[in-house]
Amino acid sequence: MGASKKESVEVDKKKNSKKTQTTKKEKHNTEESVLAQKQEGAATDYKELSADDDSEDYKSVGESEAGDGESSGDEGNHKSGSSEGLAIDGQSEDSEPDQGAEESDSSEDEVAPRNTVGDVPLEWYRDEKHIGYDIAGKKIKKKEKQDKLDSFLANVDDSKNWRKIYDEYNDEEVELTKEETKLVRRMLKGKTPHADFDPYAVLGLVRAIRKGYIKFDKPKEEPRFYMLWGDDASSSEKTGHLSYIPAPKPNMPGHEESYNPSLEYIPTQEEINSYQLMDEEDRPKFIPKRFTSLRSIPAYENAVKDSFERCLDLYLCPRVRKKRINIDPESLKPKLPSRKDLRPYPATCYLEYRGHKGAVMSISAEASGQWIASGSSDGTVRLWEVETCRCIKVWEFGEVVQYVAWNPLPELPILAVTVGQDVFLLNSGLGNEEIQRKVKELLHVETPTAPEDSGNKVSGWSWRQDDEHEGIRLRHFKSVYSVEWHRKGDYFSTVMPADILSIHCHLIAFLFLALESIVLCMKSISHT
Amino acid sequence: MGTDMEMDMDGDVEERRVQVRFITKLKPPYRVPNTSIAIPANLTRLGLSTIVNSLLKAGEDEWESQPFDFLIDGELVRLPLEQFLLAKGISAEKVLEIEYIRAVALQKEDEPSLHDDWVSAVDGSCPRFILTGCYDNLGRVWRAAGECTHVLEGHSGAITSVSVVNSEGTDSVTVATASKDETLRLWKFDNEEHSDQPSKIRAFKILRGHNASVQSVAVEASGSMICSGSWDCTINLWRTNVSDTEGDLVSIKKRKVKNKAEESQLEGEALSTLVGHTQCVSSVCWPEPKTIYSASWDHSVRRWDVEMGKDLSSIFCGKPLSCLHVGGEGSALIAAGGSDPILRIWDPRKPGTSAPIYQFSSHNSWISACKWHSKSLFHLLSASYDGKLMLWDLRTAWPLAIADSHEDKVLCADWWKGDSVISGGVDSKLCISSGISVL
Repeated sequence: MGASKKESVEVDKKKNSKKTQTTKKEKHNTEESVLAQKQEGAATDYKELSADDDSEDYKSVGESEAGDGESSGDEGNHKSGSSEGLAIDGQSEDSEPDQGAEESDSSEDEVAPRNTVGDVPLEWYRDEKHIGYDIAGKKIKKKEKQDKLDSFLANVDDSKNWRKIYDEYNDEEVELTKEETKLVRRMLKGKTPHADFDPYAVLGLVRAIRKGYIKFDKPKEEPRFYMLWGDDASSSEKTGHLSYIPAPKPNMPGHEESYNPSLEYIPTQEEINSYQLMDEEDRPKFIPKRFTSLRSIPAYENAVKDSFERCLDLYLCPRVRKKRINIDPESLKPKLPSRKDLRPYPATCYLEYRGHKGAVMSISAEASGQWIASGSSDGTVRLWEVETCRCIKVWEFGEVVQYVAWNPLPELPILAVTVGQDVFLLNSGLGNEEIQRKVKELLHVETPTAPEDSGNKVSGWSWRQDDEHEGIRLRHFKSVYSVEWHRKGDYFSTVMPADILSIHCHLIAFLFLALESIVLCMKSISHT
Repeated sequence: MGTDMEMDMDGDVEERRVQVRFITKLKPPYRVPNTSIAIPANLTRLGLSTIVNSLLKAGEDEWESQPFDFLIDGELVRLPLEQFLLAKGISAEKVLEIEYIRAVALQKEDEPSLHDDWVSAVDGSCPRFILTGCYDNLGRVWRAAGECTHVLEGHSGAITSVSVVNSEGTDSVTVATASKDETLRLWKFDNEEHSDQPSKIRAFKILRGHNASVQSVAVEASGSMICSGSWDCTINLWRTNVSDTEGDLVSIKKRKVKNKAEESQLEGEALSTLVGHTQCVSSVCWPEPKTIYSASWDHSVRRWDVEMGKDLSSIFCGKPLSCLHVGGEGSALIAAGGSDPILRIWDPRKPGTSAPIYQFSSHNSWISACKWHSKSLFHLLSASYDGKLMLWDLRTAWPLAIADSHEDKVLCADWWKGDSVISGGVDSKLCISSGISVL
């Protein structure tokens, strides 16, 4: 663009308005074209442009009235007074639509182009008195053109007259605004019309593009090698058939098909006999044979059959496109988080709670975090102080302790323990006197009563006071696996495996409604 | 003495030498002539100590060698001199000024005093006695190793922390104990009693108010108030009016008590409660009348304004903290240790980051106690679950001394009489190590 810009600068001197039109930026296309016109018109006014050529393009001069236009002097440039400017037509054709659009650039933005002629050469209307038709169908009369005298007077009187240009397309006079005249002047001098446009930047870009520094699109990678004789399959795929599935490739002949294969390829007589024993399908299709010379090769008996089958393959047998999924096997592996993401994770062992003699089956931390209870396979439950690893209390049960769970309420330090078929609710002995009193009250059961819950045909539970361990003992009909407290501490649930027959099946959980008295007590505590 | 003395230690002429001058803040018997000496550059602390000793001996015939420690540019020398200079980038061309101090080392260990159960708390702030608390719910007062003078009875739970409230009075001493039975008790006794049997004392005031074990107690400097931190995440302030005024008498709540005490005991309520921590407050410290520092298992050290009752600032480190003490330079450095074996020291006066200015990491397990020396600017001690007591100097990253006096975890430690270290642990022993010359 820059280069052509330069051209335009040179040509400007020749006043080749067409080029200026095409070379300017599109934004200014319209304006410039008009300006080019005006330039011509204005040029005639400016004495500095005495070097103007008079090509036929300068009929714009003639555009202005009576061909002589506004010029008060230097008529040297005008051509004949063909006011319509025949040669200009060609140019004005370009300019007209632009001019129409240019209309919008000028001060009267709101006014739509009034030209109703359309895109026809205006010379058709040269001899007519009207130019176009209005919406009602009536002819639009041409404006009366000023004759020379009038135009001269107008020039003298009206200081702005030099700015007015006759818009032939719309049949009116358009006055250039100051900005527009500035633009025109700049263009005359060969500068860019808008002050803030830097042509040198554009030139730089142009040079860069030409040299290849700036690339817009990725250059196509030309394949360095290409196959002279492509595969049937690949070439036919490109033919644009939608669901073309190539025929299976016939196997290339290998060593077995040779007329004189190595000895190891040839089956022995025993092997040939064994082929007879096999099923039809299992037999090898081709038995290699050996011939010492080409002369002794017999005709291939399956020739016709083979080619027939090939033909069938090609055009008769239905083929199914197998959708092969390319899965990267690594992507099937679950994404494990890296070690860093898992931080902070426990890395060093600082405290060990020693005391149990068997495997520790379950641990549970008290609500405040000061104590831990642990149940072990040695039949004991121990209560530990977290900070110092001190064992505060030990409860002895005969059997393996499956599960321990603290009551989540900090005011009720009750420990639920599952041992065999029993669930024990133990008073851990923690807390001040008041809490201890309440816990003891709670854990006191007078008479064993049936549980009031629903849905169980067999009542297999019994509540009993257990003084040995200071708590309540619940006997189930099966061994209990675990016990969980409700968040509010009022309820707990126990889990037992369902049946001996269905060992692996889903576990049944029974929800216990605590005895009435306990419920009331607990509720009252939770409200205080 | 000549101005330039050459001490030819090895007879090797090629050896590099450094010009040094020994200076000290110690009193005259320890003064060395202020001349510059050329010494071999590969000497360690021991070698330097030998030089100083021989210099002192030259001045005074009756001199007995003592171990010295050396400071260059405010840092203790722990490497051979040459390497030390290289590491610090100190030029060996000009005369080097080495300051020497008496080396801190544990010299004597007394007979450990046996308790009946774990020794969980110890206080050595009064030089006349040692106060201990034990897991058998009793507090004890010891006059010296093995000599128990008083037994403080009354708690129903293990004692977690003890503190001497007021020992200014002529003979009468007031102490406070905190226990897992959620109460604090105040005791008064006469120190001058001498009897064969330890006398049993009951508390004259019981402070109730916490909902969970009281973990730590700290006394205000004047002795009129104490604060306690507890497992219920709060800190309570209590008044310790020694005089029995009516105002403190609160109606004793009705309760089923099996063993009813005969004497009337005052019950006190908390003056105010400081709420802010989200987990157990493991340690509290009251360095100035208006500020309380507390450390907690919620990883923070908080500074509280006593009058406002609010926490002013907090320092977060990533580990639950179990011990805290304020001391050091300007009594402003905070030392805290917790569940990782690193002893951290913060300077709250420094603006900006809350990163510790010193970190001492020679322990192997939880740090259960840390205490600043009451008079020194640089010395503190720490006790850990790995059974070791370590003496630290801020000027060097290695411990000055390690005492391996306990077989099991050490639960508590303190300074006593300015030159001894007392500690109690899971092995139920109270150990006293003395002869430490800090100043």
